[in-house]
Amino acid sequence: MIQTGLIQNVHDDLLTDVSYDFYGLHFATCSLDQKIKVWSLDESTGIWSVEDEWKAHDAAISKVSWAHPEFGTILASASFDRTVKIWEQTTYAAAMELQPNTFSATQPATGGSSSRWSERATLVDARGTVRAVEFAPHHFGLKLATISTDNHLRIYECIEQSSLATWQLSEEVDVTSLPIASHPSSHSVALGTPTHTSATLDGASASLVAQALQQSQGSLQGRGGLGNREADGGWCISWCKERYWGEVIAAGSGISGTIKIVQISPSRRPTTLLTLDPSPTGKLLAEGNTAGAAQGESDAPTPYAVTTVAWAPSCGRSYHLIATGSRDGHVRIWKVKPAEENDMDDDSGGTKWTASIAADFDNHRSAVGRVEWNITGTVLSSAGNDGRVRLWKATIGGVWRSAGSIGVEQTEDEDANMDENAAGVAD
Amino acid sequence: MQSTPHLDVLPPLVETGKTDELVESGRTLFTTVSPLNDSYAVFPAPLLEKLSTRSRSTDSGEQNIYLVSSKAPPSTERRLFIGDTSIIFAAMQNLRKTVDENGVYLTQPETIQRSIRKLALDYVNFAKECWIHTSRIAGEANLATADHYRSLYTCLSLFTILYLPEYGLENAPVGDDLMEWLNIHFIEPSTEEGDHLSGLERPWEDETYWPYLTRAILRGLSKAVTFFLGTLSEHPSGNLQRLAQSIIPLLSTQPKLQHFDAERDFAYASHRWKEKVRALRIELDDIPQSDRRDNFEDWWDRFSDIVGILEGREEVIRKVCEDLGADWREVCVAWGVFVDTRLRRQDLPDVVGQVLEDMPPDPTILEDMVHVALFMGDPLKALEHAAQLDPWLSAHLADMMEPLSLVEQAVNDESELSVRDFSVLSYAHYLHSDPAMWRITVTYMYSCGKVGTATADEILVRVPLRLQSKPSNANDGGDSQADQGDLSAIVKDVNATCHEYQREAVRRTVCKIAAQAFVQKKEFGLAISYCSSAEDWPGLGRVIDRVLQEYIHSGPEQYTRFVSGIAPSLQGLRTNTAAHGVFTHRLMFAVRYAEFHQRLLNRDLQDAAWDLVSMLQEGIAPKAWWAVLLCDAFELLQYDPTPLFSYAGTCVLLRRLDEIISRTAQGAGEDYLKILEAKLRIDGQKDTQKRLQLVRFALAKYFARCAMIGTGGTQTAPRRVDPTV
Repeated sequence: MIQTGLIQNVHDDLLTDVSYDFYGLHFATCSLDQKIKVWSLDESTGIWSVEDEWKAHDAAISKVSWAHPEFGTILASASFDRTVKIWEQTTYAAAMELQPNTFSATQPATGGSSSRWSERATLVDARGTVRAVEFAPHHFGLKLATISTDNHLRIYECIEQSSLATWQLSEEVDVTSLPIASHPSSHSVALGTPTHTSATLDGASASLVAQALQQSQGSLQGRGGLGNREADGGWCISWCKERYWGEVIAAGSGISGTIKIVQISPSRRPTTLLTLDPSPTGKLLAEGNTAGAAQGESDAPTPYAVTTVAWAPSCGRSYHLIATGSRDGHVRIWKVKPAEENDMDDDSGGTKWTASIAADFDNHRSAVGRVEWNITGTVLSSAGNDGRVRLWKATIGGVWRSAGSIGVEQTEDEDANMDENAAGVAD
Repeated sequence: MQSTPHLDVLPPLVETGKTDELVESGRTLFTTVSPLNDSYAVFPAPLLEKLSTRSRSTDSGEQNIYLVSSKAPPSTERRLFIGDTSIIFAAMQNLRKTVDENGVYLTQPETIQRSIRKLALDYVNFAKECWIHTSRIAGEANLATADHYRSLYTCLSLFTILYLPEYGLENAPVGDDLMEWLNIHFIEPSTEEGDHLSGLERPWEDETYWPYLTRAILRGLSKAVTFFLGTLSEHPSGNLQRLAQSIIPLLSTQPKLQHFDAERDFAYASHRWKEKVRALRIELDDIPQSDRRDNFEDWWDRFSDIVGILEGREEVIRKVCEDLGADWREVCVAWGVFVDTRLRRQDLPDVVGQVLEDMPPDPTILEDMVHVALFMGDPLKALEHAAQLDPWLSAHLADMMEPLSLVEQAVNDESELSVRDFSVLSYAHYLHSDPAMWRITVTYMYSCGKVGTATADEILVRVPLRLQSKPSNANDGGDSQADQGDLSAIVKDVNATCHEYQREAVRRTVCKIAAQAFVQKKEFGLAISYCSSAEDWPGLGRVIDRVLQEYIHSGPEQYTRFVSGIAPSLQGLRTNTAAHGVFTHRLMFAVRYAEFHQRLLNRDLQDAAWDLVSMLQEGIAPKAWWAVLLCDAFELLQYDPTPLFSYAGTCVLLRRLDEIISRTAQGAGEDYLKILEAKLRIDGQKDTQKRLQLVRFALAKYFARCAMIGTGGTQTAPRRVDPTV
């Protein structure tokens, strides 16, 4: 591992997300300071500089996502103000006259840059903090998915691509009460676990909305019970990158410790194809996992949230890899096999998807906040409250191993290294 | 190449051992990976559960982004190495193709092996040249680089000796070849020692004399050995003088395999030679105890060791090597020269296994570990260590190992990759750390079956097209034509690569992205040609919409200029049967409407009026544009000097106007008035109805005028047929 750069004072407050564009030549950052900044890389010097920045929301921003470039240069931002906004970069001067909400580049260093970001749409359906937003793979058209603390997964479709103004809410489902696809016997939702009996999610989510709102307004609140409430609601989403299976998305919500694989179809309501449940009661465990069995066998498992999920690009493999990171301190890699062709059940359209745990790491020993795959789905990165980023890689035999880690601790020989790295530092 | 498995970034966020502080201060760590080169952006992020209690702080480091790569991108010299060896790799792939396409082997195994051997020697020579080249450049960093190439060189040449001997010699004794390898790569005794000793009058008095002589004998360096044994003619002991004279001819006559046509002759000669050594031993043993020492050394013991080596005594060779500080390699190689002169490649693992028990290799030296695995006949292990040493090495070794059946060809059930593909893909992933090397990266990936192909697609589709770089500089007086040619260079390059590997889906996606980028640059002509290249007809429609928007936003002059850029594409699209009619139709309207405005601008009003009517009459104009066209007609209707519309034409205008008004009354105004609304808004007006009323009024007046001067009705001659469309 080598440090190749440092960008300081990126925002006025903590960053909540950094998202690379399709090529990795730009990234968008968002922060508690309610701003979005777009940065570009000067490849000759390796220096990143701000191209544009603007106040985007009325509360902290939780995530930013880039649309596929075949639709243009488009960003979606999700916020604690319960909205998702669509932004377009355009050099189309005249078009901006139509749009009142136009922000100009404020970075003088970029000189004659004529790029501008315009607000094209605001999606206001969520009844709680929107925790995640992700554009669908491009072959499904200009669509995006959001998940918020009201437990709802929402799918939006852009009706008019040339203006980006109209977004139709094509699906809106409560992830916790999603219907299960056919063949319930082949996969299980661990409804009988103590997780569900201990928390009444519906009741909790209503107060959560109010709470999120209070948080976004910066009001301080007693800490009693805060931890529990924060664990509720929708957490994370990740689209299946492959076209073949149609629109499929992984979503995590609540404190069940599970991820649902949801199929979105134009002809019927979204259904759960599969639930990724690592608990011993989860029937999936019987399908080959041994790694996770040791924990939780003795005691009833404590409810926890899966706060991050990442669906790897399948890259020609016959199976999918889905990584999850959760508050039980585990990074899990699920090997998910779609239904075989002859398993298709035409009546219900349901398919027998199966999953097994390919790897289960508790190295973070504290909540895992992020998991992410590289573009070829060969290296998984995970970040946890232990202040470490860990990389994971598989051997030819499918055994996942540590491939390095990054920390933020002071080291002994820091002074010596400081000078060395100074050259690569950019603001 | 080497990189530490753990890195702590600078400046640190917490003190040593106090990572808990991160969470206590309401922070955690997040990361995201760059598609450009798999580098990581690491940044502190707020802990959601502590968000409300967290006091906003502006500590330094709070808002940092640390950029980290798992491997250093290749240096310039390394890039040359990668580029040049990729040519040998490409030749290897051509060879593999002739094997695969025809089931097993189309060509003779002999030809295959000869070809692979030739390519392997190319790799060997290349590594050697890089080593020589880099070691000539001074500097600490270069020293490490040079040493790295040296290690590639030793591994590759050992692989070639052990696994790719000349065809037909697979079963020949391997001792001499290995000794040659050892002498090339691990030079002992050093030239400096020799120089030092040769400068002495009585070299045997020097403590390095006997070790030097022993090692030179072990290594078969007959010239140096003859010279220094010759110096013993001055030694005070007559016995030693005599012994030295007897051993010199023995050393120069030790049979070498390469001097014999048949191994049987070699074996016979070796046997006879060993007998002479035995005679020497008897002679040695006859030396009285009293004469076995000089003033400095127990020379008899030293000489006895040397004879012991020639006799092929295992224990002597081991002891001597240990005393000399030589490693397991030296023992194993000496084994093949002295102990078992007929040692074959397949016998090596047994010998090496025994030697390693007493002289284990240093597991931290990856080069040694590769050597061990190669000696032990364990190609998989060799690849494993080679991958750690340099993914380049494992990839290119595995690529040669597969056709030689040294590794399994079958894919692993878990990774769905063969050993070869796994190694080559790992190397290709490493190459991805340098985005400029995408061509080489995808070449390696596309050689790796289904998974490799899909992986390469992900890389190829993300090759930055650089179409919109520096928009601000585009207008600074540069030649726009040259600019365009330059801008599409990478798209064309990627397109060509897609064609080469038949990746149509990737090509289409890239074309769609290019089209979108050209729209943003208002290069509508290029945008349309990339849309049609991608067969993206809805996309084509959107491009045309954007062109039409130019009319609304920028007015007719700008609009006609843009359309002149796209008009040529119309012809091409009409001949393209795959082109979707609706979108071609819309393009046709854009072109016709531009022609109309060109006529207006040229004050060719009569033709302009005729254009207008025919666009409405022939159904070329979309409904949404009718109202705009009618407003365009307003001025023409008012034109005083001569009436411009025929009676029939005026009726067409009236019918369209009626439809708009009645449909708007029924609530379908959106369909008919949207464009006009936008246009009026730009012009600072609002009321579409009022505008249309004005048109109606103008039409009424025009009808009245027609009736008055008698130009209306059927008397008007039909106009010439316009050939432009």
